[in-house]
Amino acid sequence: MRQPRSGPGKRRGRGPRIPATTLRKQQAALANVDQITGAKIPKSFVFSRGKLPSTLRHLQQDLRKVMLPYTALNLKEKKRNNLKDFVNVAGPLGVTHFLILSNPKSLPHLRFSNSPQGPTFTFQIEEYALAADIANSQKRPRCPPGIFKNSPLVVLSGFSGLGNPFESLVEYFQHMVPAVDPSTVKLAECQRILLLKYDKEKEVVDFRHYSIKLQPIGVSRRIRKLMQNNQVPDLRDLKDVSDYVTKAGYGSESEVDDEAATVSLPSDVDKLNRASRKSAVRLQEIGPRMTMRLVKVEAGLCSGDVLYPWPVAKESVGEKGKVTEEEIEGQEETEDELEDGSEDEMEE
Amino acid sequence: MAAASQAVSAPPSAAAPAPAPNPGKRKTRAKGKGNKNKAKKKLARSGQDDSIHRRRNKPSAKFLKLLRKRARDYNSDDDEEDDDRQQEHQPNPRRRRRDEEEEEEEDEALSHSDQEEEDEEEEGVSTSAITRFEQGCRAFRVAFLKIMAKKLPDDPLGPILSAHKKLVAAKLAEELEEHKPKGEARKEKRMAAEKGHVIPEDHLDSKEKELIKVATKGVVRLFNAVSKAQKPRKDLNPSRTKDAKVLAKERKNTFLAELEMPSHQDKKSQAPSNFSKHTGKDEDEPAWAPLRDTYMLGSKLKDWDKMKDSAAASGQAEVPLGDSSDEE
Repeated sequence: MRQPRSGPGKRRGRGPRIPATTLRKQQAALANVDQITGAKIPKSFVFSRGKLPSTLRHLQQDLRKVMLPYTALNLKEKKRNNLKDFVNVAGPLGVTHFLILSNPKSLPHLRFSNSPQGPTFTFQIEEYALAADIANSQKRPRCPPGIFKNSPLVVLSGFSGLGNPFESLVEYFQHMVPAVDPSTVKLAECQRILLLKYDKEKEVVDFRHYSIKLQPIGVSRRIRKLMQNNQVPDLRDLKDVSDYVTKAGYGSESEVDDEAATVSLPSDVDKLNRASRKSAVRLQEIGPRMTMRLVKVEAGLCSGDVLYPWPVAKESVGEKGKVTEEEIEGQEETEDELEDGSEDEMEE
Repeated sequence: MAAASQAVSAPPSAAAPAPAPNPGKRKTRAKGKGNKNKAKKKLARSGQDDSIHRRRNKPSAKFLKLLRKRARDYNSDDDEEDDDRQQEHQPNPRRRRRDEEEEEEEDEALSHSDQEEEDEEEEGVSTSAITRFEQGCRAFRVAFLKIMAKKLPDDPLGPILSAHKKLVAAKLAEELEEHKPKGEARKEKRMAAEKGHVIPEDHLDSKEKELIKVATKGVVRLFNAVSKAQKPRKDLNPSRTKDAKVLAKERKNTFLAELEMPSHQDKKSQAPSNFSKHTGKDEDEPAWAPLRDTYMLGSKLKDWDKMKDSAAASGQAEVPLGDSSDEE
């Protein structure tokens, strides 16, 4: 038996000795960085200010699931936690994005903000449906467990040519999830999609969350099911095995493929969707569903100068009436949030 | 008061002679009227001839007195008790006298009704008590039957004493009034909590279909971009072994070449803006991030809105941006 030597002899490597704290810091930094592209991984906190009713608490949990895997699914907040606490914690953990739910008297609000220094986009949630509601409305809700292991793709639509607040909003949404590098990404990891579509007529943003399903084209439903389920099919009513393959299934939905939804895969995604095969992209909603209206943009984190809506003086006369309404609303918000940001004692 | 005490004291006196009625009768006959007088005398002057009474199973005067006192205590309130004690000496003789009179009357009644006048006084007392009780019982029965025969109104409160009835009704009405606003408040609260919450319809309406179409388009664009970036040669079929070997070799070569080559990120920026998030990088950097000099140094998100806004150069945006940079 050899006595374990103490001191510098214990070192295995030949390099300089690194203190444990530095090592820990390096590892923490490594965790915040994508190993392949080297881009910083955006991480997020989804939390609430003030007390939320149960439906909104469910919405909060759904939003956390949307932001998975780089978010705290079981983030616990206390009544006495103020925004500063979250900011202080966010720094060492590498959290860059905050999604803050609040429930003022008018309508629930959702704030998207960057952690240390802003900006903050405040949305009014005009309508929302929980993931559970969506699942209830569907005949066959689909939510495989592996779906939340990778972050969603973000698809933005209708934001082009809208001017400044929306340009920065697009930037924000693009950086909310890790960047997708087309040369290195694995298609099997793209399982969810987050759609943000700007409706120009109603001036609202539609927030939808879908799961992506790939289906091989030209394969009958029965064969597909046989491959997926790994079960011996029911052949009782058939006279020959070939009937199982040749007999057309009833009203198969895979026949209504449109060309727009087909892709040719560069590599094997799963057993069914092989490389160099055509596959159809099917989306099924997993929720939550939100319709949001942009109410305010601030330069800081829930504080600072208001970038949107514009001051009334610069507005054209025609739109004045509508925008002043928003302006008033925004002003009220400012007051609320100033209290919110500085001292949280006022909140219940 | 006196009558009540009599009624209460009667049962034990009636019960006492029950075990031996016949031998007692014989004995009373032998003694005759003298005994009766003696009893009267004894009632007047208490504490005399205890031995005789005990022999005949007749309750002693002391016992009777005790019973009476108990009855009095039972019937009277606490306030009156003190007064009774004070007046104890005065009313007692009067009460005794009245008792004697009653007994005499009872005796007379007995002599009227019964043949045996010599029957002992004690037995007479017991019979009279029973009859009186029976009368009371009849009255009670009549009253009870009357109450039972009464038809109750169909009242939700049920049969309650009238004095209470009003109270209970008032209380119930009050509660109802309290409940009403409470329920409304709860409803309002629920509505406030649910505001904005919309249960989706079972079928997909045109708007949702449109949204799905948009999302599908986005996904297809991404997948096509990915396949364009990842598929090296279009003429080769990766499912064929021969081609697969060629492809693997090519992939290796491209990988090695990429390591040495400068970044080709700029090339990729032509891909749809939705998913190519790489901003411009230095030309002479290797593609694999850890080989770059700037790996893990500084964050790219810090000044994410700076370039755009400086390009836009709107007077509106400049002020806050200046602030944010000052804070750093």
